Amino acid sequence: MYFKGINSYGDRGLVLDFGNETSKSISQEVNDAFLNISNLNLQSLNIVPSFNKIVVIFENSHIRDQNKDKINIKMNETKSQSNKKVTKTWKIPACYDEDFALDIKIIQKLHKISKEEVINLHSSVNYYTYYIGFMPGFPYLGDVPSQLITPRLATPRVKIPARSIGIAKNHTCIYPKVSPGGWNIIGQIPFDIFDLQSPKPSLFLPGDEVKFFSISLPEFKKIKKYNFSLNDLIKEYSS
Amino acid sequence: MNSIIITRAGTHSTIQDFGRFQYQHLGVSPSGAMDQRIISGLQKIIPNHQNQFLEFAYVGPSIKVKEGSVKICVGGNCNMSIQKNNNTQLECQPYKSINLFEGDELIIHNTIDSVYGYIAFEHGLGLEPCLNSYSTDTKAGIGSINRPLNDEDIFNISKDVSSWDLISIPKPDLEKVTNFKVYPGPQLQYFSDNSLQSFISGVFTITNQSDRMGIRLKGESLISSESHDILSEGILPGSIQVPSDGQPIVLMRDIPCTGGYPKIAILNEVDISRISQLPPGTKITFDLQTIY
Repeated sequence: MYFKGINSYGDRGLVLDFGNETSKSISQEVNDAFLNISNLNLQSLNIVPSFNKIVVIFENSHIRDQNKDKINIKMNETKSQSNKKVTKTWKIPACYDEDFALDIKIIQKLHKISKEEVINLHSSVNYYTYYIGFMPGFPYLGDVPSQLITPRLATPRVKIPARSIGIAKNHTCIYPKVSPGGWNIIGQIPFDIFDLQSPKPSLFLPGDEVKFFSISLPEFKKIKKYNFSLNDLIKEYSS
Repeated sequence: MNSIIITRAGTHSTIQDFGRFQYQHLGVSPSGAMDQRIISGLQKIIPNHQNQFLEFAYVGPSIKVKEGSVKICVGGNCNMSIQKNNNTQLECQPYKSINLFEGDELIIHNTIDSVYGYIAFEHGLGLEPCLNSYSTDTKAGIGSINRPLNDEDIFNISKDVSSWDLISIPKPDLEKVTNFKVYPGPQLQYFSDNSLQSFISGVFTITNQSDRMGIRLKGESLISSESHDILSEGILPGSIQVPSDGQPIVLMRDIPCTGGYPKIAILNEVDISRISQLPPGTKITFDLQTIY
């Protein structure tokens, strides 16, 4: 139980506070609470989870005040309720070919390990989806093995290719589309993870488990050709 | 079929509505019209606007009827005229409906002592919503049209104008406000008494590094006694965040969905619309309300 209480955020927001630390178990509590509050079908505009806070945004202070008690009651009655059944476990193909692994040498050099070791380490862990943010569909995954922890690039890249896999500090990520950014790029996945045409546009949701498996460049090209929809991807790569 | 063509896109012209909600946890910003008071006003004149408003900043667009006819209304404080098909020029005013016929061109010259203006079109612009909204977020590439409008963009409006009756409303009260009541932000306590004093008694100038994402202010430095680099958390428009250079930024409609700077205060909803209309160089002050 990390939940500390609910504070006001201006005249129309609330912050659910889970302390100042970060860990997978804090995030699990945050993401369980996020699902529980979402299921209340409040008259909220947005519910935004992050590492140790949930911000709930309303149209005005009147509606905010009407809904605050409902959240409070839910937070107290669901102290130990977990939503594990709702989240997915993903096995995501990742191509670490040198065409895509733009910054893998930085990680090799920093930790004095081979390229194969970087790949084996990165694809050895079940990552937890802390939250989605920074840009539409961008998952903050973690934690990477300690031998891969690497600071952000000193000078952010102006254009990171879409679907790139990155590492920064103890997190790994996938860039849904072309973007500027400072993560160390080590590979690429062969399909899109955010689809504006879908009513549920993001492949990953907070709380999902994600494991990468290494594929060759020919395999990457083969999967890329399929043009999977998000529903196809759910069937193919999640359980 | 009725159709219009953008003959001059103007600056920062985008399609907007009242905002895109329920997707911020997936990294999607709420967006929406910068000055929501104006599109609320326009709804009274063009009730069937289909939530497809054209927003412009400073220099307005020019729009020509290619085929058929359309009924529109402009909102905001702006200079504009109509170039008729027969080469005569007509004066026109905001908040009065305008009937445009084939060959007519509406020319919006500029906004006056303000920033944003809007056009409402009867029956909308024939667009499909994207994630339940017509708003454009150009940085994220999301929207019915996921970019600013360009010259020669064409919109087809299949339904014909319902009535040529001219409708007008009194100009909404868009009184210029430069003193803003603000509520404490989640990290207010990070700032020393000195910095809080500077925030409350200081004068801040709106800089030209301001856009739909945020308004950058220049004034006395506000220093957080804890850190200017906090763990990212959900943010909402109107939040006043302070990065390590001490110069506050008022977050606007295209907010990043989570942010890692301490937030000293937050504006109320209507003041987001008000502050959006202040041109660079305007001096503003803040009045901190007691804990809400």
